[in-house]
Formats: sequence, structure tokens, C-alpha cells
Amino acid sequence: MTKPIRTRMGDGELVMMSAEEIKEEVLLGTQDAADRGNIPELTAQELEQLFDIITESGRIVSVTPGEEVVVIDDGSTLALTSEYNDGAALSRSQAVMTYQNCCGADTVLLPHNDFSYKPIKGVINYELQDYHTISQLTTAPLFYGAQPNMGLYYQPDGPCANPSELLPQGKIEEAQQAQLDAAKMLTDDIVYIFKELNSIGLEGINLDTSGSAGDADFMAALNACVEIKKINPEMPVIVGIASEFILGMHGKVEFEGKRLAGMYPHEQVKTVEAAGASIFGPAINVNTSSSFPWNLSRAVTFIKAATDVSNIPVHANVGMGVNGIPMLEVSTVDCVTRASKALVQIAKVDGL
Amino acid sequence: MNDNPIYKEAKDYLVSQKKEQVAEITKKFIADGGNPLDIMNHAFIPGINEVGDLFGRGQLFLPELMLAADAMLVATDIVNEALEGSVGKQKSGGTVVLATVKGDVHDIGKCIVVSLMKANGLTVHDLGRDVEVDRIIEEAVKVKADVIGTSALLTTTMKQQKILEEALKSNGLRDQFKTVVGGAPVTPRWAARIGADAYAEDAQDGIVKIKEMLN
Repeated sequence: MTKPIRTRMGDGELVMMSAEEIKEEVLLGTQDAADRGNIPELTAQELEQLFDIITESGRIVSVTPGEEVVVIDDGSTLALTSEYNDGAALSRSQAVMTYQNCCGADTVLLPHNDFSYKPIKGVINYELQDYHTISQLTTAPLFYGAQPNMGLYYQPDGPCANPSELLPQGKIEEAQQAQLDAAKMLTDDIVYIFKELNSIGLEGINLDTSGSAGDADFMAALNACVEIKKINPEMPVIVGIASEFILGMHGKVEFEGKRLAGMYPHEQVKTVEAAGASIFGPAINVNTSSSFPWNLSRAVTFIKAATDVSNIPVHANVGMGVNGIPMLEVSTVDCVTRASKALVQIAKVDGL
Repeated sequence: MNDNPIYKEAKDYLVSQKKEQVAEITKKFIADGGNPLDIMNHAFIPGINEVGDLFGRGQLFLPELMLAADAMLVATDIVNEALEGSVGKQKSGGTVVLATVKGDVHDIGKCIVVSLMKANGLTVHDLGRDVEVDRIIEEAVKVKADVIGTSALLTTTMKQQKILEEALKSNGLRDQFKTVVGGAPVTPRWAARIGADAYAEDAQDGIVKIKEMLN
């Protein structure tokens, strides 16, 4: 009997599995991804490589020198400014500098405290001041970022009718129109905020978790990206995605003739590329009832299919609950390093 | 499963959300002497399960899910009318009280859950978002719910699910309801830790878990 190997479940629980069980899990994970996304499974060699990564003896694993990729930020500094849980109650400038100097990040980001675009308009002048001040301190490029979070445009938080209330009533057309109305407002707000930041020397902008409110939310982010690149063609734009496929809340919205609902990462990336974005950030959902090997194999399969076709850098999110990382507030270093190594070496991501 | 081609045709109508054709084929099947329960069990229930699966794969979208649920309701009404007075009449699959917990305003996922639940024959009382524990319990008692389902999308609001469990116990009501928890940061470990009866990975998993609990 082979020695049991320590690994985890998708919710972080430690479990012991045999080598055979882990091999079975990585095979099932890649098969699931291939079936859902209509993409190739990992090859036998890649599965073997993934198994080796997962079963390395060290608690922390890493790539070989020369294989390193960039590490960027999509709101990590918010954890440092928080007074709750794992926060450190730092100021915004301290949080950004800590992420740069102590964590060695290649880009840093000034996130809006709510991390949504809608509330920024009312406080844009304060954001401009903070961004300008902090940008004088950083060495790494300083992005500004938030999430489109189109749900904030629905009643009672916003002016548009709420599709979550209309849809169960069977008011499908009204629900779809509400989403289109909200999407237009969202695009306009993102572009307005960008213009203001651009005027004071913005170095990059992040549209994180695009698509969290569905396909119209994703469309709004793409349209904003198009406008941003018209205003400043040199501006780096990161478009991060909310989930492994674009949720069809509307079902019919399109971008350049392609329906957005149901798109998986290998399709998302081409759309993001067409919108002019500089970096694509995929996010594959973690199933907390399944194992880490299963989840990681699945994530690597999906993301590899995206990097295979992408002409722009792909930076995988390695936060809790996505891309193989178990759903735990404090991510476990064993899983984070294994997922990072697998995403770099097998999925061929350009950054994390 | 019976190989009668009518079942496949009926199922396909449901999956493609053709409500009128669903009604027509159901009525004709019954008029031709077919057992109403047979078309439900061999066509429409597999059909609605397929709808849920397609939705979970991103191949069918929320408006289509709603239309399929509507078509399912039509079929259920026709079958029930035919079975009126008989023991085979389709009763509600159960009563669920659903809410996004206090302090949490996310409801998109819950909207999907409500739709799938209704499509699967559950009676759903959706209390909305940012709902106090006392309100959830009050409604569950009032409607004699079988299941209380709560959704939390933030690690900071998850604790309301624990507070609900504790409130049910302290009010002597814990045994009256089954509880199921869901939401992005919620995990099976969390559900076990707080004493919830079930954890739902996603909307479709929630349906499976509720049906298991009610059977």
C-alpha cells in the first residue's frame, strides 16, 4: 500500500489520499473541464507533471529559477487596510507600499474601499488626491481598480429596476431591459472615472470580477475598455473575470457579434482581447466538496485552453475559492504554492 | 425508463421551453389513456433536471430557465387536474423559506436558486436580502416551512447563519425545520460547524440536497 499523501479538500480540510486516488482526481478534474468547456484534456505528460507538483513533499513548492512570472494585485491591499480578520489596519499608502516592498509585487493597485465603481463618482476628487500622492511613492506601476458590480445599479441601491425581482415574476423583457439600462450607466461611470484619473497620470486600470452580475455586466466592462483605449491607447487595462463561465442573466447580449452568456475562459480571453484589454484574468470556481487535486486539474485545463489561444498576457487569480485555491479566508501556503506552480508550468500563465 | 417516443418529445419541448407544445402533448397523452404520472416521471422530471444541468454548464441561461419553469408548471397543473382526487396527485415538493442574511445585499445567486426551486415543484417564500434572523424564523413558522435556506456572500455576514441555528435551538424550533446554507464563502465545514443540515454548492446542488432531506 502506498504511503498516504497529505492534501486538502476545496474547503481547506486536510485529507490523506493515496497516489492512486490523487491520480484519479486529477484525471476526473481535467475530464470535467474538457467536457464542460469543449476543450482538450490535459495530456498524460501534463497529468503526470501535475501529480508530481501536488505530491511534492515540501509544504511550500516553487518553480525553477528562470520560470518566475509577474505578480500583480487585484485588491489585495484592501486586506491590509481592514481592521477585521486578517487585516492590519494600515493606511492606504502604507498598504500599497507594504504590498510592493514586503510582498515584492510587480504592480500595485489602489483599490476603492468599497471596491465597486459606482460609489467612486461621488468621491472622485478624494480618489484623485490619494492616487496622485501614492503614485509618487511607488516604484512599481500603480493601478487603480474596482469591480464593475453592476448589481449596485439595481433598486434599491440604484435607479434601475431589479432583474432579481422581475425574473421570478416572469417579466423577462423588463428584466433584460433593466440590465441593458444598468450596463450603459456602468460603462459611462467607469469611463468617467477613468478620464478623471487619466488626467492626473493614471498608470493602469483594473476592472476586476467583470461579469459578476452576468453577461450584461461583462458587456459593460468590455465597452468601457473599448472607450478607455480610444481615450488613451497606451493605457494598460486589466480585465478580470468573476467566474468560469459568463452567467446568462440576460442571455442575449453580444460583443462584436458574439453572445457573451456561457463563454468559458478560452472564449472570454478572445473577447477581452478584442476589446483592447492588456491583461486577462481568468477565475475558475472551486468546488468546496471536491478535492484540491480535482479542482486544480480542472482549473489548469480551463486556463491552459485560454493561454493556448491568447495574444495578451493571462494572469490567473490565485485568491480564495478560485483556480484551485481552497475556500478559506487565510489561504493555505501548501495549496497556493502548488496552484501557482501548476498554473505557471502547465497552464503557461504569464502572471499571477 | 420507458422508450415511448412521446416521452422524448415531451421532454424536448420542456427543455426548449415550448410551453404550448408541453400543454398540448400532455393533454393528448392523457386523453389517449396514458397515465399522467408516467409522462411526469419519464418526461418532465428528467427534462427539468436536464434544464438545471444545462444551466449549471452555462449552456442555458436564466430567462430560459424561467420559461422552462413556467412550462413545467403548466405540465404539473394539467397532470394534477387529471389526478384530482387520486393519491397520485403531485403535491408540492416542499415549502422553503429563503433569504439573504442580515447585512448582506447580494441576491443574484438567490434569484437563480428561487427559479430552480420553483421549477422543481418547491413552494418558495423569498424574503429578499438583508433579512434579520427573527424575520426568517417568523416566516418559517407562519408558512409551516419544511426547509429554511440562507445565502451569505461575505465572510463577515456568514455568522448570521450560525446565529439562525442558535436562535432556532433557543426557541425550541430546531427540530421543526431542515436548514441549508449556501453562498460563495460558505463551505461544507462551515455547515457542519454551525449545525446546518445541508450545504449547497450551487443552486442545482441545493435542489438535490433539499429533495434528499424531504424524502
